[in-house]
Amino acid sequence: MNHTSDTTAAGNGGTLGPEQAAALLDQTTQQARRKFQPSPPWLLVTRAVMVLAALGAIWLSVRGQHPYRGPTAADIPVLVAFIVVNFAATVAVRRHATAGVSGRSRFSRGEITVLVLAIVAAVVAMAGLGAAGVDFATYPTSVLVIPGLAWTVLMAARANWRELATGLAIVVIGIVGAFAGPAGAWAVAAVGLCVMLLGSAAAIAWQQRA
Amino acid sequence: MNDDGLDPLIHVPTRLKIVATLAALPDGDTLSFTRLQDMIGLTPGNLIIHLRKLEDAGYISSEKTRNGSAQKTTVTLTRQGRAALGTYTQALRDLLGGLDRDGTADHEHRRT
Repeated sequence: MNHTSDTTAAGNGGTLGPEQAAALLDQTTQQARRKFQPSPPWLLVTRAVMVLAALGAIWLSVRGQHPYRGPTAADIPVLVAFIVVNFAATVAVRRHATAGVSGRSRFSRGEITVLVLAIVAAVVAMAGLGAAGVDFATYPTSVLVIPGLAWTVLMAARANWRELATGLAIVVIGIVGAFAGPAGAWAVAAVGLCVMLLGSAAAIAWQQRA
Repeated sequence: MNDDGLDPLIHVPTRLKIVATLAALPDGDTLSFTRLQDMIGLTPGNLIIHLRKLEDAGYISSEKTRNGSAQKTTVTLTRQGRAALGTYTQALRDLLGGLDRDGTADHEHRRT
């Protein structure tokens, strides 16, 4: 092991004073954290604005319905486009952030399977409850509960407390929506998810600077 | 340690960047040589030299895997390396705190 000082050797980038070292350490750490972050704050803020706009627009179109008939045919493409764009952006950014990284930063096959099964289970449960005449089965917030719980459990297993809080927030939005009525649930989903995403963005930005 | 109490193995711009970059990953995660090279902005030859020095000191570990004809090298910061960075960071804080008290660093901060 060579512990002799070689700060002047070629290719090392020159000598360092303590202040330059502190600045370089701080700058490199923040840059690396930003580059490795699979959910960067800018993406979460964009998603927050999109979710508020997409779900808020649907709430505006359904709030006057008596009786409630659900989103209009014009709303469905907006909702589908939001989901597709959101999913594609999430996958692309996550893939870029975790390129070359292996270990706990990446989801295991088992974790991905649990998440996919949770989404399928939510859709099946809503369809079943809807067929049985349960009102809140058709609320947009109800579909959030099972995936939110699955995310909470996975993040608890990873001891990732920030993401665990996100999962719990999703579950709470799902439960609160069940008491808001069919039209009100769209507003709960729009505002709740927007606030949750902005909170996550703020927490990540704060962590990156810490 | 050098006169300032700073680990001379880390107190080199390139190796400080390498160690700080690897430390940004969760404990135990590995990073491919090519991604690290991309993030640090070094030639492969230079990066290998610095990685070898860090590996000799036990601060990082590397692993080569072969997938068909392609060989992939991954590196990870060891617990010893993470601890060394922690000690280095604390030494920097102590040093800068000491400088702040006699006003020298305050002046330097304003100048830079």
